Amino acid sequence: MMNSLWIAKTGMTAQQTNLDVISHNLANVSTTGFKRNNAVFEDLVYQNLRQVGAQADEQNQLPTGLHLGLGVNVVATSRKFTQGSLQQSENNLDVAIDGKGFLEITMPDGTTAYTRDGSFKLDSQGRVVTSNGLPVAPGLMVPPDTKNISIAQDGSVSVTVAGNPQPQQIGQLTMSSFINPAGLEPVGQNLFRESAASGAPQQGQPGTNGLGILKQGFVENSNVNVVEELISMIQTQRAYDLNSKAVQTSDQMLARLSQL
Amino acid sequence: MDRIIYTSMTGANASMQRQAVLAHNLANASTTGFRAEMANFRAVPMQGEGAKTRVFALEATSGHRSAAGPAQTTGRPLDAMAVGNAWFAVQGLDGTEAYTRAGDFQLTAQGQLVTGNGLAVLSDGGAPIDVPQGAELVLGGDGTLTAQLPGQPAQAIARLKLASETADTPLQRGDDGLFRTAGGEPLAQDPNAQLRAGMLEGSNVNAVECMVGMIAAARQFEQQVKLLQTAESDDKSAGRLLSLTA
Repeated sequence: MMNSLWIAKTGMTAQQTNLDVISHNLANVSTTGFKRNNAVFEDLVYQNLRQVGAQADEQNQLPTGLHLGLGVNVVATSRKFTQGSLQQSENNLDVAIDGKGFLEITMPDGTTAYTRDGSFKLDSQGRVVTSNGLPVAPGLMVPPDTKNISIAQDGSVSVTVAGNPQPQQIGQLTMSSFINPAGLEPVGQNLFRESAASGAPQQGQPGTNGLGILKQGFVENSNVNVVEELISMIQTQRAYDLNSKAVQTSDQMLARLSQL
Repeated sequence: MDRIIYTSMTGANASMQRQAVLAHNLANASTTGFRAEMANFRAVPMQGEGAKTRVFALEATSGHRSAAGPAQTTGRPLDAMAVGNAWFAVQGLDGTEAYTRAGDFQLTAQGQLVTGNGLAVLSDGGAPIDVPQGAELVLGGDGTLTAQLPGQPAQAIARLKLASETADTPLQRGDDGLFRTAGGEPLAQDPNAQLRAGMLEGSNVNAVECMVGMIAAARQFEQQVKLLQTAESDDKSAGRLLSLTA
């Protein structure tokens, strides 16, 4: 039938996906440690209907060809791992990462997930867990009579217990970094999983190998820029409008044709 | 039947193909580094026996619009926009060197610098670029890629190949959307080419022009259809004149 109908349809679909991505970013504007996504577009393959430079006759070449593009495709959502701003939370189990690393979380199936969300809590057994109750790896147990918890920049966790002025170290938080964090697989709950594209985790102590330091009593805000998202939203809507106009025009042409 | 129907059919067909080109441009109004496809009609006189009374219309695409698209600041260190008529060299899926204006570079798990769709970015030596694990990467204005490992001084590890299109070696779009020279031979590194890091180049599609073009093509199509209808009614009248029972 008409190529332009289907081409404009790819444009509408792509803009719709773009809006999905933008809405997700905006919905997570207050999510601790959230990293914003962008939809990445690519033009689809071209149909070479008439080769440029082909011989028109023995002496002459075609000066122009006919090269019809077939529309647009969403190839990826690319996650931007820029640092979010740090916000003081006055909760001494909150840690924010200033740098590139990820904190490690033990999933219920025993595997490790990675997060930038360091708003930790204590569960009934005294374990340090995420807001969803998943324990931090390697496990940290806080004694029941703890007066104060302190998490150092290098990840060492110490407590002072009642009746003993000397702080005692109860564990050490480790972090991981990835050569391609954009390749991590998001699993929701502010968690990421290692994937074939992210590379293997490079584990280390906070403060070493560019992993970044920990800041106790802070959380990392989402890195969504609301102004930017709103501008993208306007642009997306207009691009969608334009593509729907192309569908409409193509349809009118078809209608005209069928009236013959 | 009157031959006008064939002539106007080529006109209607060409307008439909024009719509396809315009729709493709509009569909890519948000594609990073996209170059708008230009379209023009070509007149093809009918060759053959007898008088050359008819000229057919053919739609043709005459390359791409070369103006730069709008700059969009992203702040991501590995995003780059080529300045002027410079292009980034990448390795196409067919193994040949191809050029793109889309500078949304990424890293693979093996530490190779690739484009957003996974094609290897080439250095000035024509080789793929590998970066060390855990390094902080900075792109310089001339394409120099600097890697800083924690606790070590920053070190230039490669220079991206930036090539400029010239009048003698124009770039043409291939079926995969990447650009290559007409003969397929690689362009030379341009020592003066520049890039801007932390920015991406938007699509250079002019939406206004596309919309106006679309309206014009739709009207033209209607005219051709009208011609077809006229031919039909002419044919009917002629039939009535010649009819024995009239």
